[in-house]
Amino acid sequence: MDCRVLSVQSHVVRGYVGNKSASFPLQVLGFEVETINSVQFSNHTGYEHWKGQVLTADELQLLYEGIKLNNVNQYDYVLTGYTRDDSFLDMVVDIVQELKRANPNLVYVCDPVLGDNGAMYVPENLLPIYRDKVVPAADIITPNQFEAELLTGRNISSEKDAVEVMNLLHSMGPDTVVITSSELPSPLGDQYLVALGSQKRVTEDGTMVTQQIRMDIPRVDAVFVGTGDLFAAMLLAWTHLHPNDLKMACEKTVSVIYHVIKRTITYAKEVAGPNRRPSPAQLELRMVQSKADIEDPGIVLNALSSRYM
Amino acid sequence: MECRVLSIQSHVVRGYVGNKSASFPLQVSIVDSINSVQFSNHTGYSHWKGQVLTADELHVLYEGIKLNNVNHYDYVLTGYTRDTSFLEMVVDIVQELKRANPNLVYVCDPVLGDHGSMYVPQNLHPVYKNKVVPVADIITPNQFEAELLTGKNISTEKDAFEVNLNTSLMPDGTRTTQRIRIEVPKVDAVFVGTGDLFAAMLLAWTHHYPTDLKTACEKTFSVMHHVIQRTISYAHEMAGPGRRPSPAQLELRMVQSKADIEDPAIVMEATVL
Repeated sequence: MDCRVLSVQSHVVRGYVGNKSASFPLQVLGFEVETINSVQFSNHTGYEHWKGQVLTADELQLLYEGIKLNNVNQYDYVLTGYTRDDSFLDMVVDIVQELKRANPNLVYVCDPVLGDNGAMYVPENLLPIYRDKVVPAADIITPNQFEAELLTGRNISSEKDAVEVMNLLHSMGPDTVVITSSELPSPLGDQYLVALGSQKRVTEDGTMVTQQIRMDIPRVDAVFVGTGDLFAAMLLAWTHLHPNDLKMACEKTVSVIYHVIKRTITYAKEVAGPNRRPSPAQLELRMVQSKADIEDPGIVLNALSSRYM
Repeated sequence: MECRVLSIQSHVVRGYVGNKSASFPLQVSIVDSINSVQFSNHTGYSHWKGQVLTADELHVLYEGIKLNNVNHYDYVLTGYTRDTSFLEMVVDIVQELKRANPNLVYVCDPVLGDHGSMYVPQNLHPVYKNKVVPVADIITPNQFEAELLTGKNISTEKDAFEVNLNTSLMPDGTRTTQRIRIEVPKVDAVFVGTGDLFAAMLLAWTHHYPTDLKTACEKTFSVMHHVIQRTISYAHEMAGPGRRPSPAQLELRMVQSKADIEDPAIVMEATVL
């Protein structure tokens, strides 16, 4: 396949977030993954303790310079996620823009990590950078409902609102938008959460069409870390393998997450013991153990194609 | 069976050396990786840029793991290092991890040099000889490194076995020593990262075959063969006829070799002596 991905995310010694969450699954699917580690931490910050070092914007630029000097700065995809530093984020955008000049077909997959459940968990000054610089350069974005609302300044109370917000996000740049989770009620009941997606593309005869989908995803009663990173990586993979079929790409992506989560929660409960809440260490994604599901995910839900225009 | 490896090696953005070479192939295990450096690519290219981890920073990362009470490993894997204080910190960490798990196996590639000359600072030699190798359980020196570590010269097979012993503990408590010889076809190219891949694969296959060095080596060398063959074919194709492939073109075709890594067809036989 020889598809080259540049992923700029965190590295943790132990566990599966950031680049640890993205690399292995993309590699088993045959992608060449080049990784710039934005931090190196012992583990993610949901544990009681964490220690490590962060990469500065200058150090990021230096690494990119090395790649460029060797004339190997050609990528098919760039993938980014959780970032806390505005100058780092600015540098990422500069690099993406340069890489797009080198390869105009480059696809930038961006998880615009800002917050969740109504609160920001990155510095506030990242919002204007995402809104004004990052999202306009992105081709695929995976905001949750809160992030989609923040980026557009609009509120989502209904599916109609969500569709409007996704169209607004399209007009800001990305042709593919997946709202990875929302508070919207599912017709299947409160054991399900609603995710939505929208993809604009031009067909062979030159017409612009937009495929919009809704997914009703069974809730799992636990907090996982790294699933968003896994989602973005797998959406990259499955939209690459199904470029004109957001429904299929999302069904596969969500199914992979589902299998990994089920395996993880089963293992976590087993190790924790009966009636004990599993620890963050025990809840680390069972990534390597899920290789077969990553390679060929059994589809566990159907996305409803709600509109095709 | 849950198998946890701590690998302390280089990270390159592009290519397959150090931790990049070890992590993907070690799929049967959970690999925790401490990146001793982050470079754009390996140092065989025209240019390289990046940052190195200091011994203190290594210590800080280990501390994070320890504070969370998750410093339990079945294996430690190390390779190319250039800094004595870093290497000493690695030894301290290994010793502590062995106290936490006395069954821990330390796989060490004692990277010192090749073809008669050292390519790390000379002051690493006594550290490897006096501190690192004594705590290692599996080592993968080349001939030059084996000679350096022992001060002996290898001119014959007999010399080689006096220098390097593989001893395993049988289930009934007796110790046996298994010696093997394996003949490996040469490939006309210089690869980078193959030593790191070798050490990682030897870890994996000795884990699967703890009392059968013959099979472990046959599988390890066979993986190497498949990856190298795939790499050289691709490199020649990319470079074009009559042209020498570049370091970029010669990066190991790691991801493409997934099937061979998982289940290597045996392509050479080791002789038990």
